[in-house]
Amino acid sequence: MAASTFCPALLPLLRINCKFNGVYTRISLNRRAAYSLGLTASNGVERQGLPERGNQGQRRQRRAVEPRTERMTVDQDWTAVYPTAASFKPNSVPLPVRMGYPVKRGVPPAKKGNLELIKIPNFLHLTPEAIKKHCEALKPFCTEWPAALDSDAKCEEHFPIQVESKAYVSAGPSLRNPNARIITLTVKLSSLNLDEHARKKLIRLSGERYNKDTDTLTITTDSCPMKQQNYDYAMYLLTVLYHESWKTEAWEKEKTRADMEEYVWEDSPSQKNILETLLRMRPLGEKEEEGEVREELLGRVEVQEYKDSVTKLKNEGETETNMQQYKEAVKKLLNI
Amino acid sequence: MTASMRIASVRLLSKTRHYFSSEVAVQPGARTVHHQPASTRFVFTSVRCNVCLIPVAFLHKGRAYGTQSSSVTVTEEPDLLFQKLSVLVKSHDKAVLDSYEFFATLAAKELGLTLAKVFEPPKNIERLTLLKSVHIFKKHRVQYEMRTHYRCIEISRITGSTSRVYLEYIQRNLPEGVAMEVTKTAIEKVPDHIQMPLWSVQSQEKQGSQ
Repeated sequence: MAASTFCPALLPLLRINCKFNGVYTRISLNRRAAYSLGLTASNGVERQGLPERGNQGQRRQRRAVEPRTERMTVDQDWTAVYPTAASFKPNSVPLPVRMGYPVKRGVPPAKKGNLELIKIPNFLHLTPEAIKKHCEALKPFCTEWPAALDSDAKCEEHFPIQVESKAYVSAGPSLRNPNARIITLTVKLSSLNLDEHARKKLIRLSGERYNKDTDTLTITTDSCPMKQQNYDYAMYLLTVLYHESWKTEAWEKEKTRADMEEYVWEDSPSQKNILETLLRMRPLGEKEEEGEVREELLGRVEVQEYKDSVTKLKNEGETETNMQQYKEAVKKLLNI
Repeated sequence: MTASMRIASVRLLSKTRHYFSSEVAVQPGARTVHHQPASTRFVFTSVRCNVCLIPVAFLHKGRAYGTQSSSVTVTEEPDLLFQKLSVLVKSHDKAVLDSYEFFATLAAKELGLTLAKVFEPPKNIERLTLLKSVHIFKKHRVQYEMRTHYRCIEISRITGSTSRVYLEYIQRNLPEGVAMEVTKTAIEKVPDHIQMPLWSVQSQEKQGSQ
């Protein structure tokens, strides 16, 4: 027989394996060898001999114990079964869960010995009951938000400075995230004690950090390695900006019309023109001092209205209302 | 959890350890809030929590084997105020984020926090195309993609102590494979050195004359 011929050749191998692995490996080797050669008759003979050998052998088989789920009541305390995060234990979870890709015309595999259920993160330790218990224990460490600050406007009024920072939590080779050091400080200029000159100077000094529409100054610092250092640096920058803007340097007197942020009517070509026009409109023969005439003319209501309309046009741009106002002012002035 | 996550929990714990004292527990109601009607200044005291000193190795097993009393000490240091606390969690698995969102929102409600917004920013898919074979066969490629799902929980108007408690609780129960980014917007008063300018008008005139 072919079987008898091949067995002795493989026997030394089989014996070696027996020492290390035991009964099961021996059976599988035999079966595999038999399968490859297309032999099945020898298997029955081999198997009868093997169980006796197994009982002598290396390991005692564990007796199957009844799973814990059998003894669980419906109203048990689940927080005692899963107090903290733990992997899925099929004998501890009394749910008929199935997971995995089904075999053809089959169902997903059951929970016993199912690796898919063990791989995924489970929230069995965070049932609503458990969360409530945890929160009850945590409540003594919390403080209440002051009831008086119930709207954003009130927060803004009493606490004008906003400091934004980020923190990161992730698993990786390092805990640190370099982006956590960045601090962004936001403050509205209307909440700071500034006069006109200081405000304009501060806006000029801050440059791109100032937003005209929302009147906010934003200072972002990331030059220092630690968050606290960046925060201190941001407060330092704010302090410096504030105090520097109150100073008036000697060269600031040389500010020309071209440097002005907004249009000012006094000493402008528009004022000169209108004064000239009005002077010429006066009837001839009246000799008065020019200074008095000027002041008198400037004090007139129509001139004031004209001044307002021109300032609005220049500062806000051309809109329907502005143009209408200008037209009315001119008509009144020139008695049209 | 991985080892680095455990280290994260140690780092969080050490912050509270720093404030541990051997004082007897103060009554929780002894927090003082001074409200001065004239100037309406708000001074809030912070509550430091002294978590029991369980060795790090046993932290993940929880307190099932025995509890020690944790004392609450109230310090006079003013509490931080956060106008907004934004927690953004990222993961490759949307189901995990759904469960985590349920957990975080329920925890916030139980602790009495106001949930301003809970929403799902759109997912981000990063795709790459690689050659299928080690050598030649340029026409045959294989494509991989990495999907990152997001969930954002915004809490408005929360104090520093409460935020520390909530964030520590949330972060300790962060599942495997989930990353978190916390954005805090603290509100503060204008500091004293910015209230008045250093240089008064008189001294400016003096400087001008010089």
